[in-house]
Amino acid sequence: MLGFELSEPATLDEAFDLLADGDPGVRPMGGGTALMLMMKAQIFKPERLVSLRNVGGCFDGLRIDADRSHIRIGGMTTFAEIECSPMVLQHLPAVVRTMKTLANIRVRHVASVGGNLAHADPHLDLPPVWMTHAASIRIVSKTGERVIPVEDLFAGYYETTLEGGELIAEVIVPVRPEWTSTYVKVTTRSAHDWPALGIAVSANLQGRRVNDLRLVLSAALDRPTRLVAAENELRGSDLDEAALKRAGEAAVAEVDIHSDSRGSAAYKQHLLRVHLSRAMHSLVGV
Amino acid sequence: MTDARTIRFTLNGAPVSVSVMPHETLIEMLSLRLELKGARESCGQGLCGCCTVYVNGKSVSSCLYLAQLVDGANVVTIEGINDGARLDPVQEAFIEVGAFQCGFCTPGFIMMARELLDVHPNPTDDEIRHYLIGNLCRCSAYPEIVEAVKLAARRRAAGTAPALAQELSA
Amino acid sequence: MVALMPVGNIGRSVPRLEGRDKVMGQAEYTHHLRLPGMLYGKIFRSTLPHALIKSVDTSAAKAVEGVFRVVTIDDIRTVIPHPYYGPAFHDQPVLADGKVRFAGEPVAVVLASDPRVAEYAASLITAEYEELPAVLDEVEAAASDICVHDELKPAATFPDLQHLKGRRGTNVALDYRLVRGDVEAGFAAADHVFEHTFRCQQAMHTPMEPFVSIADVRDGRMTLHTASQGPSFVRIEMARLLGWPENRVRVKVPHLGGGFGGKLYIKLEALVTSLSLLVQRPVKISLTMEEQFFMVTKHACTFTIKSGVNNDGKVVARKCRILWNGGAYADIGPRVTQKAGFTSAGPYDIDNVEIESLAVYTNRPPAGALRGFGAPQAAWAYECHTDLIAEALNFDKIEFRRQNLLKEGRPQASGTPVHDAAFEKVMDQVADRLDWHKPFNRGNGRILRGRGLAVGIKGITSPTTSVAIVNLYGDGSCGLYIGTVDMGQGSDTVMAQIVAEVLGLDAEAVHVIHPDTDVTPYDMGTLGSRSTFHMGTAVRLAAEDVLRKIDDLAKELGLPPNSNLPVSEMLRKKYGMQAGNIIGTGSFIPDYKKPDPETGQTPKATPFWGVGANGAEVEIDTETGEVKIVKLVNVVDAGVAINPRAVRQQVSGAAIMQMGFTMTENMVFRDGQLTNGSLADYKIPSLLDMPEQFVNEYVESRQQSGPFGAKGTGESSTIALSPAIGNAIADAIGVHLTDLPLTQESIFRAIQKKNGTPLPEDDND
Repeated sequence: MLGFELSEPATLDEAFDLLADGDPGVRPMGGGTALMLMMKAQIFKPERLVSLRNVGGCFDGLRIDADRSHIRIGGMTTFAEIECSPMVLQHLPAVVRTMKTLANIRVRHVASVGGNLAHADPHLDLPPVWMTHAASIRIVSKTGERVIPVEDLFAGYYETTLEGGELIAEVIVPVRPEWTSTYVKVTTRSAHDWPALGIAVSANLQGRRVNDLRLVLSAALDRPTRLVAAENELRGSDLDEAALKRAGEAAVAEVDIHSDSRGSAAYKQHLLRVHLSRAMHSLVGV
Repeated sequence: MTDARTIRFTLNGAPVSVSVMPHETLIEMLSLRLELKGARESCGQGLCGCCTVYVNGKSVSSCLYLAQLVDGANVVTIEGINDGARLDPVQEAFIEVGAFQCGFCTPGFIMMARELLDVHPNPTDDEIRHYLIGNLCRCSAYPEIVEAVKLAARRRAAGTAPALAQELSA
Repeated sequence: MVALMPVGNIGRSVPRLEGRDKVMGQAEYTHHLRLPGMLYGKIFRSTLPHALIKSVDTSAAKAVEGVFRVVTIDDIRTVIPHPYYGPAFHDQPVLADGKVRFAGEPVAVVLASDPRVAEYAASLITAEYEELPAVLDEVEAAASDICVHDELKPAATFPDLQHLKGRRGTNVALDYRLVRGDVEAGFAAADHVFEHTFRCQQAMHTPMEPFVSIADVRDGRMTLHTASQGPSFVRIEMARLLGWPENRVRVKVPHLGGGFGGKLYIKLEALVTSLSLLVQRPVKISLTMEEQFFMVTKHACTFTIKSGVNNDGKVVARKCRILWNGGAYADIGPRVTQKAGFTSAGPYDIDNVEIESLAVYTNRPPAGALRGFGAPQAAWAYECHTDLIAEALNFDKIEFRRQNLLKEGRPQASGTPVHDAAFEKVMDQVADRLDWHKPFNRGNGRILRGRGLAVGIKGITSPTTSVAIVNLYGDGSCGLYIGTVDMGQGSDTVMAQIVAEVLGLDAEAVHVIHPDTDVTPYDMGTLGSRSTFHMGTAVRLAAEDVLRKIDDLAKELGLPPNSNLPVSEMLRKKYGMQAGNIIGTGSFIPDYKKPDPETGQTPKATPFWGVGANGAEVEIDTETGEVKIVKLVNVVDAGVAINPRAVRQQVSGAAIMQMGFTMTENMVFRDGQLTNGSLADYKIPSLLDMPEQFVNEYVESRQQSGPFGAKGTGESSTIALSPAIGNAIADAIGVHLTDLPLTQESIFRAIQKKNGTPLPEDDND
């Protein structure tokens, strides 16, 4: 952690100029908590950090579209701002609940939603939640902008599809009053551990009938991943034990879970079955 | 290009200016350049809370915060939460209940507990545990810490506390 | 004698004397200390568990702007010709010497005035190794011909470790044996014989103030400012290394941010001393939390226990074999091996006992003392074993224990008679708090419930000495000079209470002078629950010496008996002004008889007994193995509690710490490399891990030989906590787990195995 420059551009254009294309030693910085950890561990040795905290504009704050169809969360919005937003609580209550077990309050005061996504650590709690909410991100660069679904951001373990000089300006979350969601942080050691599995579920239910749903598994894989086969088992069917069992087996079959210090592969596969079923049950109860 | 920069900010109510390198963390600046002892680096990963300070009224882990980023900010440390003559009610409660042993993590717990009481003036055990999850005490004075936070809440409610919100939002 | 009435300092929960400083963040720790001209050292560590060092390339590090010097063992040798240290064996080099014995061992140090520069430069050092096969497991290492050390050099510093030889050509550093009666005949005659094997994992102290030491050489003297639990030992050992008299080495210790047995003997002190000598400037090394895992750890062990039991429930024979994983350097492991060894048959009255307890070197980070000195690892085995026997023979678990518990005056396995050890009382109080004799709903669906209890015994390191000085100043105010380190246990306050009680003062008015070997007298160390008993007695004797001297002064001044003239007035009369001192000294060493080397038998093995019982109620989610500790009860024998709140805090804090060692904490190695050396991956208990109901108590008792009836209590609630939880889990799921920690996965696997649907073994990587 020596010999780098810290820039704090006041405009987006200045930021783009400072972010030299393709130079791995130059990185944009949101809240900086994850970057600081990597720098202290000497995993990342920067030449220049470009803090986005002063660029303002759409990077800051939370808004709802005039037609109330989407919530837009600026990339520099802190977790604490999201957690305390009445608008998020009203329209995206699962996001607020997820915050309660995410890191600790000091991290939530500093960490930004854009930086969190760009970090692409598979253990993070929010990315799978954005994915089940069918959220997209608006990516801006000197040459233009593009909007992609959150799941298309992740290319692998700590890897994204962001090109050099691209920044996450906004997370755009559709408001879907007919859907309910939850996130289960499955820890296997201590309560304040990283998750062994993160299971995010969102469903459009009619009684016990699943009109539509999204299931995402994180932490146990190299990136948060849609459980498409499991979704197919449940879409259009009633939430009964047989369907849930089929979905659990489909989920285990469609992903390749590896052993780590939080559990063996077999144990985590078992936990996936159990907690997927419990998460779906909890949606019916909501 | 990696030279020191002079930053100006408010530290415990007084304006200061300090020359810091880009790589310096807030905890390094506070302890090495400003000789403050209350915030300490322990786990170095923002998990233990020993280095907790307030930046613009919000608790942060100063071991994960670059010093240059407090340019223009209002920084409050454990040294700034009482007027010298009288302790903060949370500090008093920690002594009364005996909510510490070695004392190394104690300033961090006190800083977090004060903020907790601003957010939840009458906290439940569950709210206390969740708010303080980012603070670790290896001596494990946890039962006493919960008790001290509740005692401080009662003291604050009884109006025997100084105006904390004012200082936090300053 | 001048009549000074006690004002009730004993049995009073005096708040910590340093409380205000601690809540204001103003208490002094070595962590903060900086000296003018000081350099910071950063350590370059080995990446292999066992290898010969072919070369170390420091050129890139030396080229970094701001680097003052880069140091290897060759440089150290120029100031300390024989740079090996240790309390039991002189086996640990100041920096790796031709060979590395664990991954993480210090190989070189970078010195710079900016710690970040030193850290960066250290990351540029490289080393070339010739890899050697490594031994990591204690069972494997005990029989392996891969030797961690080729030669052993016993230290002969402590009287209880003077017999050390080590077994040449093996990894066995100490082979402790105890024989009582004829164990084989006992098994042959017994109605039933049971044998089980249990394992404990390697764990770490993780004090919140990481290890830190500063050495400052000047004018031919060395001053060490160090976060140490044993300043007197540090001085003696540094003087030995330097070949200097003790009076040229000064060791100062302010408050400690936790110790738990880790900050004992020599840790960073030899390294910073060498560095300061080399560069003739003050040198500080502060470890990071991650680096702490390479400093000292809690022993992993494998314990096979075999018992002969009669139909009437009497245990007639017991054989214990324990292999302790000592890591690469012995540290104080041989004492752990011996102390935990001699009580490893448990708090039971058994005629035929045979114990073999071996300290074994491996290529892991060194293991040393950790709150309990091995007693919790031993109790994990003997108290799970106790429940297994009771279940097999259908005995009530409490009555089975009661029948076999050591009663007052009966000889423990070592032959030492048991006095003032309230085993039954602590057990019965735990049973009462658990409502043991009331019906208990174990559940029958997804959630199963269980409860368990266990009783523990611990011997105290002996013989050890404490010396205290009490100084009344000219105005009659009191200073207490002791080498006991207050690392959070509250010793300053308790010692002040003892002085105050004897002298008729208020404890709050006593000033305790922190360890400074130029000023405070010898103390063997703040360890093993010894301070209240040993130093407490020395302090009492010193205070009584003051009383005698006051009495003498009164006679000298011709005062009538019982004149009650204040000391300040007496001194004023004597010196004609406010001047002078009254200095009392006290020195204490308990009775001790060296055990017979063949049988381990001795009439005086320990000055007192550590006694604790624990109970737990748990809920298990049988679908996942998730376990919730609904209730945790810890009851100890503290003798007379000098400071009741401090005692309860020790009971509570020690219990939570041991709960971490029971449920979550585990140093995980892959190919000899530690994979989880940070608080992100090595999980210590937090507020969310607290049991729903948490009861911490002590029983009415008295240690006749202790100061005001007190005994040490810093470890008593750790001893039997793991088996209490393990037994509760077994009560719920019907299977006993044998290996710590009790992870969710291990519980789930046990359930599945019992149900005939075992989870596949891990073949993933």
